[in-house]
Amino acid sequence: MPRRARTAAGWTCAAAIALGAATAAAQSLTIVAPAAPGGGWDQTARALQHAFTTADPASPIQVENVPGAAGTIGLARFVSAERGRPDALLVTGLVMVSGIVATRSVVSLGDVTPIARLTGEDEVIVVPASSPHRTLQDLITAFRREPRRVSWGGGSAGGTDDLLARLLAEAVGVAPADVNYVAFSGGGEALAALLGGQVTAGVSGLGEFAQSLAAGQLRALAVASPERVAGLDAPTLREAGVALDLANWRAVVAPPGLSDAEAARLADRVRRVVQSATWRETLARTGWTDLHLDGPPFRQFLLAEQARVEAVLRRLDANRAPATSSWTPTSATLPRLAIAVTLALLAWHAWQRRRGDDSRDEPSVPQAGHVRVAAIVGAALFHAVAQPILGFVPTATTVFVAGAFALGSVRPRRDIAVGLAVTATVAMVFAYGLGVPLPMPGAAWRR
Amino acid sequence: MTAFAGLAEGFVHALSPANLGWGALGVTLGTAVGVLPGIGPALTVALLLPATYGLDPTGAFIMFAGIYYGGMYGGSTTSILLNTPGESSTIVTALEGHQMARRGRAGAALSTAAIGSFVAGTLGTLALTVAAPTMAQLAIAFGPAEYLALIALAFVATATLLGDRPAAGALSLMTGVVLGLVGIDRLSGEARLTFGVPYLLDGLDPTIVAIGLFAVGETLSLAADPIGATSVLPLERSRWMTRDDWARSWKPWLRGTIIGFPLGALPAGGAELPTLLSYAVEKRLSRHPAEFGHGAIEGVAGPEAANNASAAGTLVPLLTLGLPASATAAVLLAAFQQFGLQAGPLLFQHEPQFVWTLLASLYVGNVLLLVLNLPLVRLWVQLLKVPAPWLYGGILVVASVGAWSVHRAAGDVIAMTAIGLLGFALRRGGAPLAPVMIGVMLGPAADMHLRRALAVGDGGWASLVDRPLAGALWAVCALLIVAPPLWRRGRAGTPVRPPAS
Repeated sequence: MPRRARTAAGWTCAAAIALGAATAAAQSLTIVAPAAPGGGWDQTARALQHAFTTADPASPIQVENVPGAAGTIGLARFVSAERGRPDALLVTGLVMVSGIVATRSVVSLGDVTPIARLTGEDEVIVVPASSPHRTLQDLITAFRREPRRVSWGGGSAGGTDDLLARLLAEAVGVAPADVNYVAFSGGGEALAALLGGQVTAGVSGLGEFAQSLAAGQLRALAVASPERVAGLDAPTLREAGVALDLANWRAVVAPPGLSDAEAARLADRVRRVVQSATWRETLARTGWTDLHLDGPPFRQFLLAEQARVEAVLRRLDANRAPATSSWTPTSATLPRLAIAVTLALLAWHAWQRRRGDDSRDEPSVPQAGHVRVAAIVGAALFHAVAQPILGFVPTATTVFVAGAFALGSVRPRRDIAVGLAVTATVAMVFAYGLGVPLPMPGAAWRR
Repeated sequence: MTAFAGLAEGFVHALSPANLGWGALGVTLGTAVGVLPGIGPALTVALLLPATYGLDPTGAFIMFAGIYYGGMYGGSTTSILLNTPGESSTIVTALEGHQMARRGRAGAALSTAAIGSFVAGTLGTLALTVAAPTMAQLAIAFGPAEYLALIALAFVATATLLGDRPAAGALSLMTGVVLGLVGIDRLSGEARLTFGVPYLLDGLDPTIVAIGLFAVGETLSLAADPIGATSVLPLERSRWMTRDDWARSWKPWLRGTIIGFPLGALPAGGAELPTLLSYAVEKRLSRHPAEFGHGAIEGVAGPEAANNASAAGTLVPLLTLGLPASATAAVLLAAFQQFGLQAGPLLFQHEPQFVWTLLASLYVGNVLLLVLNLPLVRLWVQLLKVPAPWLYGGILVVASVGAWSVHRAAGDVIAMTAIGLLGFALRRGGAPLAPVMIGVMLGPAADMHLRRALAVGDGGWASLVDRPLAGALWAVCALLIVAPPLWRRGRAGTPVRPPAS
């Protein structure tokens, strides 16, 4: 019987997805994950969505992915587009705090309304099972002797893993700029490099390494949390003699411009969900630690973390210098080279054309062609700029009509009718079929 | 339990009527969503994930397999019909696929894509069944130095795509490299070529570059030249693959599988490299090299097979190491967790039944995809009967939605338009467009792996070649450069047919 009930529930959900969920504005919620599907923030957003939906199946909960630049692109969009909305949440965390500094973002976490810290992930320092380093002390001794010979693999540059490796260096008396940190796109790829013996040690969230640790492929040397982690035979950094702890926390924030009452109501909704059985199951499954904290204490925590991260990054920036033994390309080498070669080729190409010995070029564009090209480009740019104000349908119809005109249509009225039909269909499919609404008229001015 | 006994048991679980129903539903939803502009397989699976919450794990994963394959095939459909690739793995398909469509051969292109996907998906799943642990060991041995050598190999192999005027081809290639380098450098966290524009920090998504170059650029070219506009898309009478199409497709399917599966299994995976390599290989081996760029069926069959085989390969590190090598795999990993399953080295020991059922459901998903999509080909090609002005108006709308959905930002639509103008200018100047995509996809990767390899070897350039696997790849690279001219000189007696223009 439970199986049949589950099956029925599955059908219902599928039907809701396919046909479009009914909108009950009162309890709706949009959760913005400022990252691509699959990452930690996306998982947090979808786990929240799951917990909210289980608690109250009637209210529509949407997840939007706005990936890019350590979450700062999502943050910037959240601050400007969702201002004053009491039913929107943005997933954030320690990585965004350092991302804001690293990308010199103009918006920061000071521009949003803090709601609650949710979870933490313990950071762990590991070596491959075949490594000669048995304890953290072994690794640190080797590190002190020849810092550059010890390579640290972890997630993206400037992220939590990078931060921990450099804080550790500082704590044991090695210049942070001397850390040979090799950034991979996420702890998963770093895991492969560790198992393949390409890097000396790995720094990442425990979740990334847990399975390989359990299988005995990796050895944990220390955890960066204040207390030992249950089920893991590894000391804390403090026990191993390094005065340092760091956890990769994740939180949710609301748009700017909320009243205190609205913020409190959102915090209440989040608190109820965090206490639900569904959320507990999620924590157990993912290995995330429950770090729920809201109200003024969360506000203070956020300020303290910002100050700590900014101070560390500023110290690192001050003495960032390549310390390798021979000349190696830097991040600026290839861009300079590529631009130089492109310009040289362009000049050569122009010179060839000037000589006029190249008959294979296409004939020059007729005057009317320029007008048609301009029509398309103009309409596309108008669509890009005006879409948030006028909504998707009218501006996309402009693009359609301009395209039809440019391809030789002489019946603009029919083009407009067809364009409206096409764009309205696309908008309906996105909004009701997928729950990913395209911009509606006046979206930019919504309170 | 041996692999095949386990698999047989997996099929018993997967083939119940209810599970087949879930699979069919997944394929249908996946295809429907995958066809939508800008919605790649990763987002498709993520969006449809909640629909599986109520199911038991077997049913859910059969539905996933359907959604996954359906979403991938849906992306190929828009690539071929509308020249708007939905994600990076179908960019190469658009090169020949849309040219075929413009010549009235959309039916054959869609069919070879569907059957090629099926063949590669099935063979890839078979390889996964028998060789996953071995493949995983090989994949781990692949470090930054090996990646760099592999990318160099890809550059050499794709040199034939520069066209008959290498200088113009090189200009396109370098333009692509510059476009690809825009954004935050993943190794140092520094911004490159962003000129203080916050939008550019995240770089230009290859999908947006492809949509701009192909969909917008081509529409602009057609608009500028009224003669071109009238010669669009007469649909061929036969909508099915001819005997000749079959003869020219089956080898590319197999070669695509052989290229796609191992490359997909690499930890830094992605479908860009295998699809590009497959395309280059097909062009080199084809008896009709002059047809490339004008709708050669090998250029659709090979990359489509490579794409699906690499998707199966992606499951190797996912299942054996818990390592998601693509965005879609990361979503699948989250889905595993949803059902209390930890992907990783212990999964085969702890949950053998789940693994075999998953593998069986991949086979089933593949078959269902073919069953659903072959009849749909007839329906899809009807789209091309729409009058040219409306078709291209519609393509522009689809391209705008597709670009916008990537980050939900106006900047993407502006970037797409600007890149469309750039593509228009390059085409007018007689430069080919395919090398731009090679530059975008391989240039930044080469930069990253070179610098990462040097960091791992602490600045020693010898570390790039002194590992056996890397050395071997460099040797193949050198052979590819040196051998063809020598071979040609050896056959100097036989006249070489000049390529038709």
